[in-house]
Amino acid sequence: MLRWLARRIIAAALVVFVVTSLVFVVTHVFTDPATVSLPLEATEEHRADRRAALGIDRPLAVQYWDFVSGLVVGDLGESFWQDQPASKLVLERLPATLKLVAGATAVTVLLAAPMGMLAAWWERRFADHAVLGFSMASISAPPFWIGYLLIIVFAVQLGWVPTFGSRGFVSLILPSFAIGLASAGRLAQMTRRGIVEELRKPYAVTALSRGFSRSYTIVHHTFRNVASGFVTMTGWELTRMFTGYTVVIEVVFAWPGVGRLAIHAIENRDLILVQAAVVVLATLVVVTNLLVDIARRMIDPRVELA
Amino acid sequence: MTAVDDTTTSGADAGAADATSPEGVTVMADLRSHLRKSKAGISGIIICSVFALVAIVGPWLPFLPDPAKQSLPDKLTPPVGWGGTWAHPLGTDQLGRDILARLIDGARISLLVGLAAVVIAAILGTTLGLIAGYVGGRIDTLIISAADVQMAFPGVLAGLILVAAFGPSVWLVIVVIAISSWMVFTRVGRSLVLTLKTSLFVEASELSGAPSSRVMWRHLLPNLVSSLITLCVLELAAAILSESAFAFLGFGVQPPRSSWGLMIQQGRNYITDGWWIVTFAGLAISIVVLGVNLLSLWLQSFNDVAEREQIILERPGG
Repeated sequence: MLRWLARRIIAAALVVFVVTSLVFVVTHVFTDPATVSLPLEATEEHRADRRAALGIDRPLAVQYWDFVSGLVVGDLGESFWQDQPASKLVLERLPATLKLVAGATAVTVLLAAPMGMLAAWWERRFADHAVLGFSMASISAPPFWIGYLLIIVFAVQLGWVPTFGSRGFVSLILPSFAIGLASAGRLAQMTRRGIVEELRKPYAVTALSRGFSRSYTIVHHTFRNVASGFVTMTGWELTRMFTGYTVVIEVVFAWPGVGRLAIHAIENRDLILVQAAVVVLATLVVVTNLLVDIARRMIDPRVELA
Repeated sequence: MTAVDDTTTSGADAGAADATSPEGVTVMADLRSHLRKSKAGISGIIICSVFALVAIVGPWLPFLPDPAKQSLPDKLTPPVGWGGTWAHPLGTDQLGRDILARLIDGARISLLVGLAAVVIAAILGTTLGLIAGYVGGRIDTLIISAADVQMAFPGVLAGLILVAAFGPSVWLVIVVIAISSWMVFTRVGRSLVLTLKTSLFVEASELSGAPSSRVMWRHLLPNLVSSLITLCVLELAAAILSESAFAFLGFGVQPPRSSWGLMIQQGRNYITDGWWIVTFAGLAISIVVLGVNLLSLWLQSFNDVAEREQIILERPGG
């Protein structure tokens, strides 16, 4: 287990290294932060000044070394737009994003597990079709549009919750649902399929024929065997949230997270800050994958993990 | 979309078996009779055809106003049924432009970007998957590691950094969506090749001296087609959603051209006195993606023999 864990952590660190290097190639080889920060009509002199100020007139290898050694100690460069360390700006916004992801995950799990079980319980009956309908609708609608619909109905028309911003627990509800519905739709179908397959296996058939009810068998026998897949898929949804959904939903709800910071940084031509936000989000994705692997192994020791 | 990934892979083997069967004609007939039994398949095909048709012939539809024509006196006219007139059946936006005309105009971008991205991803991903699965060894390790890294670096992140570096454009959005989905084709293609590699027809062709490129392109690839098409449809739904998200963030099409995601971005300041802008644009995206998803659901159930038998056995006429 320990050797496996060590191998897995080294692999994860390698992935982070490769991803950040790719980011460096885009931001420093194909273009550079000085060119991006200046308007197109800037003079060559002006550009050279800016390059010297940002230290990007030095050889690429030196810059790359600076970048990598900075990464190790958590230094992600200086934000041009805010005139502050980029890592500080990103880390300030991180709790808001994590809160949002936690809320969305809660919505996902609390909706998906019961819906998947209900659909499997009443296989090919009304509840099953209803859950399938929910899943198809939720994965087909763009999350940012779901966000606006929720705002129109619950904030504008009914006035139950605040529309924008991060003001305590209440303002977390709408964005969490905007993100979580699609994930719940996917996860519910996966759970349903898993349970239905398990119910056909001999152990479940035995349990049923001994007189256990279908619901008891689902909750106590089959769901446990689906749990490993459930955790993996939840992890997958988490990575989707970190990288896609939160960025868009933070814009919709004016949520002060990392994604919205990145969008503002793009608007302000601050390549260093965008780079920092992307590096942090990509690292979160890798860490999530690592945690999922560990959780899976703990739930079901039979899982062979390379 | 990932929830159904594993069915795609398991269904894929069945699909491969279909393609190898000598009676290609019966496969088509089978497909048609199966379609008649599937409401999801029929609705999916209808929605997708209407979408494609509207996207292609949209600009030549005779009764539509110019999607870019502004008319400030008519701004924020509600749709028919909420006090509007048939002059603008779905109402107008903040600049008095006809919503229906703009929706039809935007369909082109969604179709164009979605298809282009999926085609690029499919060609690139399948090629790499074929090579990884068939050649094996270090090349396999390299390609699979690249796919794993790509998994950890999803499209939106790549999109953020590329847009920050090069500025927004439609081409960039196509590239970003393509690079965020190639590895799906690589993984599925590779796993199929690994199971097919040991079959007799591959061995026979190798023994007869065919170069590996011929074995890959002439013998292995045709066996992947049916499952890859299923995968393309699945990825198309994801691509259309991604396009709308990028357009919404302002990364894709720039005004005055319209796109469904961009309409939502521009209409979001008017949700109190012009809810129809955001609502109809989002509805258009949702219906099209639903159509593509239904189509892919049906293709998967057709590819998966077990599931197909189930449908035929348990749901006569359902």
